[in-house]
Amino acid sequence: MTFGSICIHLFHLEHKGEIMILNPKYSSLITALVLILFGTISAQSQINEKELINYAYESTYKPEESGKVIITNANILTGNGDSILDASILMHKNKIVAVGKDLDQSDAMVIDAEGKWVTPGIIDIHSHMGVYPAPSLRSNSDGNEATSPTTPHVWAEHSVWTQDPQYTLALKGGITSFHVLVGSANLIGGRGVTLKNIRSRTVQGMKFPNAPYTLKMACGENPKRVYGGRKSEPSTRMGNVAGYRNAWIEAQAYQRRLTEYAEKSDEAKEMSYSPSRDLGLETLVGVLEGDILVQMHCYRGEEMAVMLDVAKEFDYKITTFHHAIEAYKVADILAQNSVCAAMWADWWGFKNEAFDMVWENTAIVDQAEEKTGCAIVHSDSAVDIQRLNQQAAKALAAGQKSGLDIDKGRAIQWITLNPAIALGIDDQVGSIEPGKMADIVIWSHDPFSVYSKAEKVFIDGHLKFDIDDPASFKRTDFDIGIIDPEGDRL
Amino acid sequence: MSLTRSILLSLIGLLSFSIFAKTQDILIKNATVITSTELGVLEETDVLIQNGAISLVSENIDIDTVITGTTVIEANGRVLTAGLLAPVTNLGLIEIELEAETRDDRTDHFSAGFSISSAFNPSSTLIPYNRASGITSAIVFPSSGRGDIFSGLGSVFKTHGDIDTQSISTDIAMIMQMGGNTDSRASNFLELEDAFLKAKQFKKSRNIIQRGGFFDSGEYSERDLEALLNLTEERKPLIVKTNRASDMLRMIEFAKVHEINIIFHGAKEAWRIADRLAEEKIPVIIDPMDNIPSSFDSIGARIDGASILTESGVTVLIGITDAHNSFLSRQGAGNAVANGMDQYEAMKALTINIAKAFGLADSIGSIEVGKNADLVLWDGDPLEVMTFADIVIIDGRIMSGMTRSKRLRDRYLRVIGLD
Repeated sequence: MTFGSICIHLFHLEHKGEIMILNPKYSSLITALVLILFGTISAQSQINEKELINYAYESTYKPEESGKVIITNANILTGNGDSILDASILMHKNKIVAVGKDLDQSDAMVIDAEGKWVTPGIIDIHSHMGVYPAPSLRSNSDGNEATSPTTPHVWAEHSVWTQDPQYTLALKGGITSFHVLVGSANLIGGRGVTLKNIRSRTVQGMKFPNAPYTLKMACGENPKRVYGGRKSEPSTRMGNVAGYRNAWIEAQAYQRRLTEYAEKSDEAKEMSYSPSRDLGLETLVGVLEGDILVQMHCYRGEEMAVMLDVAKEFDYKITTFHHAIEAYKVADILAQNSVCAAMWADWWGFKNEAFDMVWENTAIVDQAEEKTGCAIVHSDSAVDIQRLNQQAAKALAAGQKSGLDIDKGRAIQWITLNPAIALGIDDQVGSIEPGKMADIVIWSHDPFSVYSKAEKVFIDGHLKFDIDDPASFKRTDFDIGIIDPEGDRL
Repeated sequence: MSLTRSILLSLIGLLSFSIFAKTQDILIKNATVITSTELGVLEETDVLIQNGAISLVSENIDIDTVITGTTVIEANGRVLTAGLLAPVTNLGLIEIELEAETRDDRTDHFSAGFSISSAFNPSSTLIPYNRASGITSAIVFPSSGRGDIFSGLGSVFKTHGDIDTQSISTDIAMIMQMGGNTDSRASNFLELEDAFLKAKQFKKSRNIIQRGGFFDSGEYSERDLEALLNLTEERKPLIVKTNRASDMLRMIEFAKVHEINIIFHGAKEAWRIADRLAEEKIPVIIDPMDNIPSSFDSIGARIDGASILTESGVTVLIGITDAHNSFLSRQGAGNAVANGMDQYEAMKALTINIAKAFGLADSIGSIEVGKNADLVLWDGDPLEVMTFADIVIIDGRIMSGMTRSKRLRDRYLRVIGLD
């Protein structure tokens, strides 16, 4: 295995500046040791060697087993494109168990939705909560390692502050999962992390279990402005592209070295050194092998098309273009290549590459190529993450106004199933169907109304926010006693 | 879309070259008129516009009594409001934030007396874009001055986009920043004291200056001192950008001593001193959606601030700092309502409250006879996110709803094959 050699380096031996591989005959022993150390030997007995590379940073989030809860009289936007009127949702043991009419209510806590709308938990694919927390202080600004144009070796999760008061604000807007990215100063910025919106003392305790890693990359103005401003490369868009290509060439060479070593016989391995670990290249190889999903900040249509060619040249996949202001100009190309676009409803003009904004962007991406496009509404903002439903509503209204045939059942996917797909967690969240995590929001009104508020937010079957009970949600440390010692921030 | 509405819209389309941008007499029939006055909401009401002004608001205005050639708009119950005002905006000053040469909102040289009025660009793409979403007047302020606490003077512009657009009210208020910078806020207060002291000395020395005598204006220019004097002599408002509740209390004391009118802007902690603000009749300009405790001065930020202030009797003005999307003040107002603010008060916060606070209420901000015919006909509840402005009228002119953004949309709907 390509990564087999790397994983062992958790216990590496230094030797003449190179890292020497341990004899493979010890490797199973080491693996067992690792498993015992992390106390998950039964669950992980078939642990994939590839996963070991990230093992020290695995999610420790394990929700308490939730009881039987049934939401009745609900109008459900399932996230799969459907609406089911006047139905029930049964949750048990952290999962959605059943959706439909006449469900067995025995032993269940009954929550009467009284005809209100119910959606899957909202997912924001673009957030900097935790890495750019509030208050905005220099000492808390940990989102961008803007010291070199390629920094694939940094990981957003190692910057996350678990006590950012913005998390609870987002929870009140129905956000149950969010993806934290590093900033966009760099061509290759580093790994992102998907978190569940639950309070924990550790980032590992917030990590979405088994979510794939992501890699933030950035097109356009930001890298060339940051580095061009320092009279270093890149200072142009062509400099940007040369930068990505050089990085992938290096990554391919590293991948080859790993493969060559892995393919050696045991005897040959004993006689040679394994390739040195390289944090950055490990991440890039992860992309080349399809394990790490590329989330690329890219505004302009033609740049997206160029990046698809870069991806073709080096045989990797771009999962999502973020802030894709001009996605509507290449919506057919995006759909043909199965690339998602994550967009704002109406932000524009703050920089030149954001000048050609159209409100119908999301709708056009959604409808392109016989409705095969993958459209996502994202926030990139601690203000807008609190009302991603309203952003989706604006995008829907614009699409409908321009004559596109989109209904609310489809539009809710822009903030539920589609971001789940783009984060590789759609087998676990993003829609209301049996087997998925019980992440559910009950709305006070139609979620596409400005007056609608998340009344009840369930995460893994637990009521994490109840609008009628201010004590229902757990404040972050920051919120406690900060205005006056006796009280909490709301 | 109702038949009448589609006929009407196509009629507007056909006549677009002849009717757009010309002052004309217009009769709007059967509207739900949100007046922004004590009269509240008037159902099935007609509004007659003559010579650019509102000349009659009444039920059943007889078409036969209006002058031949009057354009009739059948509202069919749709909501008609006064045109929205953007308070404290960079509309017309900025095209693209990160491109310095497209920005006219800042100065390195001037201070309190920096008048922004000559920088307004009526051809900015932001103008038709925000107009098409209901903004008919913009109260335009500079964002920053040379580095002291003062940023300069604001002026008011209509958003019709005429190339010869003149300010309808010039240098109507001064804007300054209190606290939140690297210098101590105590230093900010001293700076303010000193500036007003200097302005008073300047006033006393006017005669000497007029006779050619020397006056040491210190770090300020005579222009700055004149502008400061106008705050006391003409009671032009001083907009104070600040968030911390205790700063606001000190600023209130300062304003009383120096007899100036102040308006707080940002004011994330204003709810904490709501009763005091009400008592002193000090308006606040807030963005109800910005509940982020983004600094230690705004720890108290909360989503229901607008509601608490209104309940306490404070005059609330709703505005969004992002010039590009000034019109999102509507969404801000909608969110304020979702969090407890009275719906009618929220509508006033987008219109008449702004006009009153800036001394513009004689001409704009509500649907009343005699006022400028700045009106918006909506296709739904104006505070809803899925609502669009159907017709925007400024000074009795039906404005084009076209924007560059819509042109791009139409082009690419064809390219992508969705037209």
